[in-house]
Amino acid sequence: MESYRKPVKSDCEALLSRFQQTQSVRFEVFSNIWKEMKFVQIFRQSHNKRAFCRLVLDVAYCYFMPPFSFQIRVGGLYLLYSFYHCQTTSPPEQIRVALKDWEDVRNFEKESLDAQHLDVAYILQQLMTCKAFLFTAMPTLLHYSRKRTEEKPELCDEFMERPCRPQELINTQLSEEMSNIHELYKNTKASISSQMSTAAAASVSLIRGGIVSELCSAVMEFYNWQQNRDTVGEAQPSQERISSQQECSNRATLLAAIKSKAYEEPSEAVKSRRHRQVEIDLPAEEDKSFLKLRHSRVTKPSLKNRTKEQIHMSGDLGREAARTTLINHLVTLEPALQEKIKSERRFKSLNEYLESQTKSTSH
Amino acid sequence: MAASEQPAEPSSSIPDYEFMNLCSTPFHIGSFRDEWLKRLKPENVSFQPGDLDSFEARFAAAMGVGEETMTELRSVCSVDSLLCHSGDQEPDPEVVPPNATLQTLTHRKKQNNKPQKRTNNRHDLYVDELDRLTAGRLPETEANRLPEGELILTINIYFPNTVEKFNHLRAHTTLLMTGSHTLADLRDAVCCVSDLQVCGEFSSTPDMAPDFMSKDLFKSAYFFFEGVFYNDMRYPECQDISSTTIDWAKSHNYPQFSTAKMEDTRFLDLKVKVGYPYLYCHQGDCEHLVIITDVRLAHRSDCLDTDLYPLLTHKNRLVTQKCSVCHVFIGRWYTTRDQFAPSDPCLFCDKCFRMLHYDKEGNKLGAFLAYPYVDRGAFN
Ligand SMILES: [Zn+2]
Ligand SMILES: [Zn+2]
Repeated sequence: MESYRKPVKSDCEALLSRFQQTQSVRFEVFSNIWKEMKFVQIFRQSHNKRAFCRLVLDVAYCYFMPPFSFQIRVGGLYLLYSFYHCQTTSPPEQIRVALKDWEDVRNFEKESLDAQHLDVAYILQQLMTCKAFLFTAMPTLLHYSRKRTEEKPELCDEFMERPCRPQELINTQLSEEMSNIHELYKNTKASISSQMSTAAAASVSLIRGGIVSELCSAVMEFYNWQQNRDTVGEAQPSQERISSQQECSNRATLLAAIKSKAYEEPSEAVKSRRHRQVEIDLPAEEDKSFLKLRHSRVTKPSLKNRTKEQIHMSGDLGREAARTTLINHLVTLEPALQEKIKSERRFKSLNEYLESQTKSTSH
Repeated sequence: MAASEQPAEPSSSIPDYEFMNLCSTPFHIGSFRDEWLKRLKPENVSFQPGDLDSFEARFAAAMGVGEETMTELRSVCSVDSLLCHSGDQEPDPEVVPPNATLQTLTHRKKQNNKPQKRTNNRHDLYVDELDRLTAGRLPETEANRLPEGELILTINIYFPNTVEKFNHLRAHTTLLMTGSHTLADLRDAVCCVSDLQVCGEFSSTPDMAPDFMSKDLFKSAYFFFEGVFYNDMRYPECQDISSTTIDWAKSHNYPQFSTAKMEDTRFLDLKVKVGYPYLYCHQGDCEHLVIITDVRLAHRSDCLDTDLYPLLTHKNRLVTQKCSVCHVFIGRWYTTRDQFAPSDPCLFCDKCFRMLHYDKEGNKLGAFLAYPYVDRGAFN
């Protein structure tokens, strides 16, 4: 059944991508695409029906959750609704909702109610009334069995809401506030050091002078980088950002553009105050530190290594602990030990007998 | 800046991924249930079917829309709007359409064309549908009715591989249990052949054999979850067999383990990770991995009769070892130093064993040693 995950995902993404192009959240628009793609045929099969229903619902659930944009999440909800009602198993498989995701569901509901999206709210609440949800610990059943090396599931980039928290955080108000505090600090420092006799006191420098402008330019650079990343596939130079921005019509871009105004202004204001400050030229690397942050992953040492570090054992014990424990060691004995107790243990020798029997019959 | 937030401690009642798609963070099952119930309305967890008419009336009132808008909304969102056949001829829902464009269907066609290992046993076809037989089953008496808001746990018990070694796939059974079951209930629900082994040599008195089952002789057992050994202490013969491990850990500078009683511990009292392998040990050294694969609130389509829990929902069929004389029946005896046997040791069904080794009066013929044998597939 696991082999179906990839094709189901690409079918869902094809549908959602067409839905995204319409820039609509209407169910009517969604159901037309669903019909055009003959999506209901996905359930045409003769066996393993229940496992397949489980899989399509689990796949669709991901699109209903952040980090996807509101429009894609609406599409995800419509997918869940359509899969739930079109499945051919009885009783139907339910949609699993994890406790950790419940707040996201409630916020989504609130957002659609506030925006008067009648169809979105109706479908979500109708599913709820139909008892279509299972209230679970985790989104899927977990067996600890998948290969750890399995490729990381790729999230479809175009469906994502662009992160705009830096823009939100570093706004006009904040930079004004920071400049004011910085002024205050400088003045206080000046008045104190004038009363001091030693020259050393005046040279104390704890705060970087250009902190406000640095902050603003870092966010600006982040925004520019974000914009450029979108157009990199089309090989557009960064100077054409403004025009490409006009072309981009999806909600996320607009949102980011609106928010960008919030910091374009303070950066102007800071420039005008520059004559009062000493400009510090930072090395270029430092400026791009947010880029590096994004790419480096924090890796935690494995349990085995942590244990090895904390617990020191000597002699045979240490050597034994350093060896990997194979799963079958949990149930079989060391060869030497096995040999020793072979005569006493009837079952072991019987098992060997059976094993040889199995081998000979399979030839 | 002072306003920077400290990363919050992971909540012990709201599980999240510890390792993506492998296991969750540890959480207390009882408080997990409380967290859900705190967030939901009683009708969300009720086993009654939902009332769509009153829902629509409430929805219209809340959104301030009239009957006309509701009618339109209902028709736009109807399930009919998703179907694509033209009404006159319903296609066969089991046949993949020939001109399908969905990738899933292209994949299914390929899968269907693959020469499949045909299953020749009807048990295999329905093996994963066991629980569906009891879906929505109602109890005969109100007292046996599953309470609304109860938890359902899905538990996999894996069997040690003694004969064949397949590391990729281990035989397991899947049980559904409720939050108020104790670990002792789980122990009693695990069918393992090592509980049924009969110890001893019975060539002179073959009729005596079934009286001594390991289950009745060696009653000690434990579960191990999150640093705690849960020992079975229900009978006076039970011993705390985890003490050896605990003492060893203590003397080797390992983190401390603690103990509790299996029969006093309900699932609601446990702290676990979903998806994480834990341990069940009985008969001294028969060790099983235990994985709780799912914890969730009960749903109206679950079996609602508490008498039917623990509910078996999956079981691997095991290859059975047949009698070496008739090759038909499952082995019940095995012999050693047996002058009649083609091999040493050798496996016999009850009938062949007695025909070959005893005369009409039941007197033992010749020299041999005979031991009762319980096949792994005895529970198929
Ligand atoms: Zn066992
Ligand atoms: Zn026989």
